[in-house]
Amino acid sequence: MSSTAVSPPVVKAKALYCPQCGGPVELRGFAHTLSVVCPQCGSVLDTSGPLVHILQKAQEQQRIEPGIPLGTRGKLDGGEFEVIGFQIRTITVDGVPYSWAEYLLFNPYRGFAYLSEYQGHWNFIRVLPLLPSQSGKLVRVEGRGYMLFQRAVATTTYVLGEFPWKAKVGDTAEVNDYVSPPLVVSAEKTDQEVVWSRGDYRTGAEIWKAFNLPGRPPAAIGVYENQPSPYGGELGSLWRTYIWLMVALAALMFWFTVSAGYKAAFQDHYVFSPGAKIEPSFVTPVFDLNGHTSAVRVDIHTDLDNSWAYFNLALINNTDGHAYDFGKEVSYYHGVEDGESWSEGSKKASATVPAVPAGRYYLRIEPELNEKQTSDMSYDVEVHRGVPSYGLFVLAGLLLLIPPIIGTIRRASFEAARWRESDYGGSGA
Amino acid sequence: MRSHPLFLVYGVAILALTGFAQYRGFTFSRVNQLNNVPKSIRDNPGAYRSHYGFYPRYIGGK
Repeated sequence: MSSTAVSPPVVKAKALYCPQCGGPVELRGFAHTLSVVCPQCGSVLDTSGPLVHILQKAQEQQRIEPGIPLGTRGKLDGGEFEVIGFQIRTITVDGVPYSWAEYLLFNPYRGFAYLSEYQGHWNFIRVLPLLPSQSGKLVRVEGRGYMLFQRAVATTTYVLGEFPWKAKVGDTAEVNDYVSPPLVVSAEKTDQEVVWSRGDYRTGAEIWKAFNLPGRPPAAIGVYENQPSPYGGELGSLWRTYIWLMVALAALMFWFTVSAGYKAAFQDHYVFSPGAKIEPSFVTPVFDLNGHTSAVRVDIHTDLDNSWAYFNLALINNTDGHAYDFGKEVSYYHGVEDGESWSEGSKKASATVPAVPAGRYYLRIEPELNEKQTSDMSYDVEVHRGVPSYGLFVLAGLLLLIPPIIGTIRRASFEAARWRESDYGGSGA
Repeated sequence: MRSHPLFLVYGVAILALTGFAQYRGFTFSRVNQLNNVPKSIRDNPGAYRSHYGFYPRYIGGK
């Protein structure tokens, strides 16, 4: 398709007189025009021969003024087209009539094109020079697949201007629309022929700008069959950005994990004797927690076997007496039931203390043990400094997921609204 | 490979907050904090009264 804009020459329109009312009628489509509507009386005239015949007498309906007046010129698809014809076509679905407007455009070098308008949605339409390949509800044009959207019989309910066929009110054609936004391929079947055309979605603002029309275009209502999703391109970039952010989050997690190190700030081994009649609580030696304020993790490894223990713990600053009071339960049970071995719990547990400033600390430990257990419990206590909180990384990952999820839902809603108007469901593509 | 600018700003803010929270040691863990625990606790640990009594304890097993 040429990208060079060629303005049609200003040619004096051919004139004739309406045999019905005697009024003058201009022809802008030159020899291509086979029918024209008298602007005075609304009669459809047959101009295919040297003598003008009345194809259809004056339309009874109220005169309709097209949104783009006949004779208006506008630039579309790199060429200047003149509006020479206008018709309203109607389909009836479940007893409800739906009408749309079609403008016939003409450029002496580029031929005919069409503009369709339905509830503020526009399509620039050209007849396809090739026959699409068809397979069930799918047609292919130049490698692109189009899904069947609608099949209906359209009836011409109003005509104005001139046409390269003998257009008149009451003309019918079976119209099959196949969509692949922003494009639509339509097959119009009459008794004589099947015409395939391809439409490209345009907004009202684009049409108004192309034809330099005054005022504002009518607002688009609803979602049209081949209206491009405003969330289509956005969704791809949202998920791409999400992947990059998750990679950055993983790198952040790796860095905090590695920088935390594995060297314990304190570790020791203890034995708890449930039978001993002594105070169970004790304190550890004082140890240093260096560096900036960060989390502290206390790991407890026990030798519990089908039992539980509970540790009351307090991390106490030896200098200012500030204490972090917390507890941790450890339980480990296992056995065989119905020939199958089972286990639950773990012999070890960890507790994390958030935002602990640097200083000299000690732990107060007060173990409690399952009263049924009579044997000693031995356990190790380790204190680690600067440990990362993986819960925060999970939270960050979930927060990062919100925008692409919302984008996906919005796009799905848009596609659902599109295909609600279809009799064929569609794939939501 | 175009990224979404608003989401990028939002995402970088989330990452920055996460990094800051990790650096400062914020976690979801619950601990009670007490001030001015006397030094005598080191000599008499049994005198300390834990304030973490509401922590749920597991006493079961299968």
